[in-house]
Amino acid sequence: MSIGKLFIKFVAIAGVALFSFSPAHSASHSKGSIVSFNGPAGEAYIGRFIKGIKATAELKGFDIKVYENQFNQAEQDQQVQQVLAAGQLPDVFIWWPSDAVAGLGSLRALAKTGVPVLKINQLPNEQDKQYIFGYAGPDDRLRARNAGYMMREAAAAKKAAGGEGFNVLALSYPHSYGGYDLSINAFKEAIAGSDLKIIGDVDEGFGQANGYKGAAKMIAKLKDQGIHFVYGMDDAILTGGIKALEEAGYKMGEDVIAVGTVCNGDKQLIEEGKQFGTTLQSPLHEGQLAIKMVEEYLNTGKLENYINFTPNPSVTKDTIETTALRGFDGKLYTVEELCSGAWAD
Amino acid sequence: MSPISEPINQLPKPSILEKLIQRHSKLAITLLAIFIVVFVYGMVTAPNFLTLFNFKTIIRDAALVGIMAIGLTFVTLSGNFFLLSMKETAALCIIAFATGMASGWGFELSFLFTMVFALIAGISQGALIGIGGNPIVVTLGAAGVLYGLGAYWSDNLVVSYRRPHGAEWLGTGSFLGLPNITVAFILIAISAELLLRKTSFGRQVYLIGANRAAGRATGHENFWMAIKVCTIASVCSAFVAIAFSAQVSSAQVNYFSSEFGSSGDMTIMVIATVMVGGNSIMGGFGSTLRSSLGAVFISTVDNMMVLHGFNSGPRVFAVGLMIVFSIIVFAILRRGSRSEE
Repeated sequence: MSIGKLFIKFVAIAGVALFSFSPAHSASHSKGSIVSFNGPAGEAYIGRFIKGIKATAELKGFDIKVYENQFNQAEQDQQVQQVLAAGQLPDVFIWWPSDAVAGLGSLRALAKTGVPVLKINQLPNEQDKQYIFGYAGPDDRLRARNAGYMMREAAAAKKAAGGEGFNVLALSYPHSYGGYDLSINAFKEAIAGSDLKIIGDVDEGFGQANGYKGAAKMIAKLKDQGIHFVYGMDDAILTGGIKALEEAGYKMGEDVIAVGTVCNGDKQLIEEGKQFGTTLQSPLHEGQLAIKMVEEYLNTGKLENYINFTPNPSVTKDTIETTALRGFDGKLYTVEELCSGAWAD
Repeated sequence: MSPISEPINQLPKPSILEKLIQRHSKLAITLLAIFIVVFVYGMVTAPNFLTLFNFKTIIRDAALVGIMAIGLTFVTLSGNFFLLSMKETAALCIIAFATGMASGWGFELSFLFTMVFALIAGISQGALIGIGGNPIVVTLGAAGVLYGLGAYWSDNLVVSYRRPHGAEWLGTGSFLGLPNITVAFILIAISAELLLRKTSFGRQVYLIGANRAAGRATGHENFWMAIKVCTIASVCSAFVAIAFSAQVSSAQVNYFSSEFGSSGDMTIMVIATVMVGGNSIMGGFGSTLRSSLGAVFISTVDNMMVLHGFNSGPRVFAVGLMIVFSIIVFAILRRGSRSEE
């Protein structure tokens, strides 16, 4: 046999083998196929979300394909066009827009195919409600409200002990980000009527480095007034803020009491008492809940609840070792497994 | 005394302002004047701007981007444009350092381990550029490889290590009231400037950057120069990665993608810093001091805006505007200087 013929035979066999094991072919044996559009796995929270959604999809017998974008709506729009142009439509689309407003066109295009769309992570707005069959994800308001209640509790304890000073510095998401208004309003509602008073709100950006930079500038601005409490819109931002406060000579837990949310910061800060507490928002839960909602919809043709939130319990130094939550896959998870920052031992 | 020399001696000596106007175009002077007025007004009216504490905050804020910009300046001055892989080098290096720390190797060994990656990244990119590769294309490709390695190595997860640890002195320690990262920035800025001004290596950087053919004629090939400057830039990136990890006791591959400034991308911030300093993109003109001051300038504008109570949108706009503005002013000033020559 000539080398040419051998090569053709090899290509033919490889092609058949490849087709046999392709996702499209194996989809016929599964409970359904899902395509998820979301952010990059390189981001800690989304990385865990992707692990959760893939593991739960496998557990429930779904085939899933995940398209990651680098927090870029134009890139996500292109991915949507590629999937639609390929012509092989899944049974359900999962839609985590990079920018809910700018991505409305792509959502509309997905819905026009007739394939049901589940929106995740960012609450539906008036414009996109018509294109989705439901929402699964975190509750920014509950998370921020719980943080507010925790800070109230800490303030009350401080007052009872004869402490003075209740000025609050907020380290926020960018003010243009959708979750900002929901979070800050819920937090303000929670602390309303207490001695706590927000004297500064800085939105340097996401992450620890920006938390540090924003806090450092605000310390320079508010030092004379006094900073006694810090609210971090998420723990990564707060972790940077705590570093800046410590560098400026504040003793965390004594001079300043810090409360965060999301549980994507640093476990050791809570253990050491430098951070009073946080409210959990688990990416693992979010991925699992999305698959649960897809399963419910495919089985019954509708969702029992249009809006479905992941749980947001408070976590403090006292409860860190005892808090455990059942996942939507039925397993029991510890806080370490559910959080997404520097939480691994 | 001759009759001709007498009236010349009677001419009044021009003032500094007059000299400035004579040497540079009126447009440049007007732009500069507007800029100075706006800048000084912003400084004076910003609450608590003119305090020692805030001054330290500004320098500390500029430190990490500034150190990377100093490294990149060597590449730019040598006529090799930019390394588009600055943040990706840092991404791989921060994973390497945190992995070492988490494995209990201690600061020194983790530092050396990280620097091995920086050297490999710098030397390989420099060699490819040195044999004639386009710096933009080479470093764009390298960026993907370096980031991909970091993501694969860390499985996209946060690598953390518990305090107390041997790197805390660098991340959160201070010397004479200044954070050690600020001290490192100042020392690196001084060393880099001395390296450029006082050594034959520094003179070669300028020579090859200004005229590659002349450099070749005098026996100075860009091949070795590209390797040296890319290595310096990579080592600076690695140092920033180590300092940042030491501060937060953790690492993640995307720390330098999303965490530095409202504009997000650290490589772009570093390039902007080099340009704001007035360094020539074509090489041969500029200094690391200019880049250091560029970093402090950007940090100052941002700081002033925060103290005035602006949120991120107007701040990004203002910083962007200032960058464009200063690049235009430097370009006009340089053109004026050249036409005078």
